[in-house]
Amino acid sequence: MILALLSSVLDAAPPLVFAALGATLCERAGVVNVGVEGMMRAGAFAAAVAALAMPTPLGVLVGMAAGAGVAALHGWLTIRLRSDQVVSGMALNLVMLALGTFLLEAVFNSPSSTPAITQLPLWFGHSPLTWLAVVLPFVVHFVVTRTPWGLRLRAVGEKPQAVAAMGVRVAPLRFTAVLLSGALAGLGGAALSTATLDRFEHHMPSGMGFMAVAAMVFGRWTPLGAAAAAAFFAFGNALRIGLASSAPGLLEVVPQGVLLALPYVLTLVVLALQGAKNVAPAALGQPYDAELR
Amino acid sequence: MRELRGALPSILSVITAVVVCFFAAALTRDLSTAVDAFIAMTWGAFGDWPRFFETGNAALVLRPLGESATKAAILTFTGLSVTVAFRVGLFNIGAQGQLVVGALAAAVVGAKVDLPALLHIPLCLLAAALAGALWALGPALLKLKRGVHEVISTIMLNWVAVSLVDNWLVVGPLRATSSGDNSVSGTDQILASAELPRLLGDVSRLNFGFVLAVLAALATWLFLTRFTRGFEWRAIGLSQDAARASGIDVERGFLEAMLLAGAFAGLGGAVLILGTELKYPASLGAPWGFDGIAMALIGQGHPLGVLATSTLFGGLRAGGTRMQLFGVHKSFPELMQGLALLLVAARLMWDRLIARVWRRKESP
Amino acid sequence: MISLRHITKRFGGVTALDDVSLDIKSGERLALIGENGAGKSSLMNVLYGLYHPDSGDVTFDGQPVRIKTPADALARGVGMVHQHFTLVPTLSVTENVVLGREPTKFGALDLQRARREVDATCAKFGFSLDTGARVSDLSVGSQQKVEIVKALHRGVTTLILDEPTAVLTPSEADELFAVTRKLSDEGLAVVLISHKLREVLMFSTRIAVMRRGKKVAEAIPAETTPEQLAELMVGVRVEAPPQGASATPGATVAALERITAPGLRELSLSIRAGEILGIAGVDGNGQRELAEVLTGLRPWDGGALHFEGEPVVRWTPRAARERGVAHVPEDRLRRAVISDLSVEENASLGRHTRAPFAKGARIDFETRRAHTTALLEANDVRPREPALRVGALSGGNQQKLVVGRELASEPKLLVVVQPTRGLDIAAVTAVRELLREQRRRGCAVLLVSLDLDEVLELSDRVLVMYGGQLTGEFARGQFDERVIGRRMLGILDA
Repeated sequence: MILALLSSVLDAAPPLVFAALGATLCERAGVVNVGVEGMMRAGAFAAAVAALAMPTPLGVLVGMAAGAGVAALHGWLTIRLRSDQVVSGMALNLVMLALGTFLLEAVFNSPSSTPAITQLPLWFGHSPLTWLAVVLPFVVHFVVTRTPWGLRLRAVGEKPQAVAAMGVRVAPLRFTAVLLSGALAGLGGAALSTATLDRFEHHMPSGMGFMAVAAMVFGRWTPLGAAAAAAFFAFGNALRIGLASSAPGLLEVVPQGVLLALPYVLTLVVLALQGAKNVAPAALGQPYDAELR
Repeated sequence: MRELRGALPSILSVITAVVVCFFAAALTRDLSTAVDAFIAMTWGAFGDWPRFFETGNAALVLRPLGESATKAAILTFTGLSVTVAFRVGLFNIGAQGQLVVGALAAAVVGAKVDLPALLHIPLCLLAAALAGALWALGPALLKLKRGVHEVISTIMLNWVAVSLVDNWLVVGPLRATSSGDNSVSGTDQILASAELPRLLGDVSRLNFGFVLAVLAALATWLFLTRFTRGFEWRAIGLSQDAARASGIDVERGFLEAMLLAGAFAGLGGAVLILGTELKYPASLGAPWGFDGIAMALIGQGHPLGVLATSTLFGGLRAGGTRMQLFGVHKSFPELMQGLALLLVAARLMWDRLIARVWRRKESP
Repeated sequence: MISLRHITKRFGGVTALDDVSLDIKSGERLALIGENGAGKSSLMNVLYGLYHPDSGDVTFDGQPVRIKTPADALARGVGMVHQHFTLVPTLSVTENVVLGREPTKFGALDLQRARREVDATCAKFGFSLDTGARVSDLSVGSQQKVEIVKALHRGVTTLILDEPTAVLTPSEADELFAVTRKLSDEGLAVVLISHKLREVLMFSTRIAVMRRGKKVAEAIPAETTPEQLAELMVGVRVEAPPQGASATPGATVAALERITAPGLRELSLSIRAGEILGIAGVDGNGQRELAEVLTGLRPWDGGALHFEGEPVVRWTPRAARERGVAHVPEDRLRRAVISDLSVEENASLGRHTRAPFAKGARIDFETRRAHTTALLEANDVRPREPALRVGALSGGNQQKLVVGRELASEPKLLVVVQPTRGLDIAAVTAVRELLREQRRRGCAVLLVSLDLDEVLELSDRVLVMYGGQLTGEFARGQFDERVIGRRMLGILDA
């Protein structure tokens, strides 16, 4: 029972872990990312479509590129044009929601999903992406805390003027972080359509991008924290689905909807408890303009 | 002239979005189909005037317009929801959740309470407004007492609302009991006394909700521009510190604006239920609350701009269904709306462009 | 040698730099002086790659060089320490210093080596710093040292210091000058941006004077006097400040009784009608907090505030305003005006719910326009357009609007913080005269300023604050700058 549960967590967690890591990278650079949902959707769609024409692993790469593409728009709007970062993210979500539906219809003539693709092969009983999701949080943690680029990333999210004054250009640094964020969110989306399922479905990622944002907040904007929170939320999901099949009686006491709401409620509770002690990067949401007087 | 120039980025964004989508349709089908589809959408949105003049059949005009206004009413309410929060400097991403709980409240009161229409409708609206306001109270208090950013908290509460209502209450405790038939989904039908009166009889579903939406937009506009409290809200939105130093109670402004934002979104839900759905359905059909963000931003936070934007996109949506006849998907208007919002977000780009053109015009 | 040649830089319609040329030679200590807004910082920001000139160029040893970013400047050996520190508070001293040129081992950050190297730089130039400490835990003086170490660690040969003493205590300032003297002895060029004539004469080997975006003169300290420099800076002959007519103070308007709040420790003081009470102190010793307590912006934890003889209970900005407290805050654009509102809307701020600005719950557009027009006229705010955005006014006109608005309420207590910062000389004179006029009218005026000269010129009584407490009280006639200066540092025995 417990092993089965653990196994289903391993299957359910990757999309959320990747997206949460992506969101964390972006926000540590000082750029708000509520567009994770849209980036995941782009990744999920592009990966599934590409996998129709090429080996699925390459499709996953295409998915990452698509996520990065959406992120590039986010970067252009927020860094270059200094648009409101929340607005840009929400706008991208709405565009991707509509675009996905439109392309499904236009290309595949189907309102619900793409044709089936070959799923990623299993390694030791799980998708390779699962194992990547186990390793990647530590890699990102290492990059953020132990490399020159990570130091600059942390600095630019706290005080971009400091980075600029030391001769490091703010815009390319932030842009890189935003692109990586999009690639990770795209990878999360690709995991949905190539590992969790074997096609892109019209509702994907059905709010998982927002859950990734919750995981990032819950994990206090640290890679390991965000990944742990994502795994925890995935555990909750797995438990809910597991309970539905193994102990339907219990669901009468604690209904599905309540369990679904739980990650969000928990995040709110954590936020409320941690209160004024703000852990978000100090420059989060503020556009940087070197010549501003 | 200054107002026109202010609205220009939005107008250009919408036009660009429509043009881009037209080319997308032409590429995926062909040019003449795209032209036909877009014409059909326009007639479907704002009335088939040519055929009306030919045949004299008023329904050709009234039915599309009615359908457009019906959708516009809901968009206006959620757009106003985001707008009033915006004016005090808060970003209410939570209109969706507030709309969901408002819609449920209206559906429950509409079905379970038996009253004459003159009392029943106001009671339903009140319940929806209160439910929406209550759902917005949480983020407001979290912000004021604990410093939690409202963007995060309203995002969380959207999903809490959707999970609890759509995945629990509506499929569980509040599911329609009227028949043992499993095909029934959603809550019980509301009573006839709770239905918003139709304005065009059987020609269209257009109902009193649109009148409410127009009144709400006008009232919000007057409040913001003519009343000292509205001035205080604007001052808070532009500079919290200066407002506070001027003796304005910033916290109270936040609280009031968020409550009103929640109430507007809740009313949007009520108009949806009491006007067209007549019960809380299994699916609300569109992310009306998220669409409100687009309405508020394309409408540039001006209540009348929101009304105009909502009327336009409500119309395009109503007309969008007619595009299906030409093999163009009805999600097209949503795509236009998303693109328009994205382009409005690129405000600086338009500002630079307009400034350049303006300068050239002024110095020939 | 670095030469800036014919530099012009505009911001929108404002010309910040107008055809400025300047040479910087190694081993010299060049002082760049001028009033606020004269273009000193802008010129150096051009050299440091933060601003891009609209015309003109920069040469290093005769070779024209394009400096597009601070990275280019650093590569050429130019370092700059800003007035507002560019330190990341959450990072350690070492991390801040190596940021942008981090030592690595196999691609990873080598923090041990970084710390050794930074320690070595500190030792070489005689700085004592805990390089492992978080920057947010350091004092302002130490943070500035970190800024300088950052530049030195990059091996700069030209070091620009932008108003470095503004945030320092006099002893910290002395320490700074000793260090920079040592740097120039080792061949570095040091540029000091300042508007304090005394420190300039003491510190520099050459002085360049700027006024309104132009370089108006160069001078050698030994061959000039403070009076000559002041005349060059300001452009008109500066008369010795007029002594304020000694006031005949009336009843106590406001009194603090052992007030304790963040930044204030059991502070007691009283302000009487008809006097200007000056608060002297080094930045960050509780002056701002005092002003905020009086205006209702800051709640206190212990003690009591008495207003007109009675203790107050709920003291919010609104309550304070209703009792007759007016406030000219330090940061005009943050607290006093809202740039995106019109002049008339700003003129109503604070009293917008009452006549002449409102009738019941509604805005009274007609009387608001009439009142504003009169206000603009009376205070010579230009242009006289009530419907204009306040952001379109110059800083001086904004300040005149604010002072005029606050005084129009005929306050009993006027709290002014740094009222003349960033204003041109005409506006400074106008604002100071308005304050004197309020005193004559019988208003109690609390003046907080970091400019000791301003405090001494205007005040009838001066209180010195240090560490949130009073360390001295001086009546007019007993002002002794040296004693006051020591009290500002918390040294109580004379």
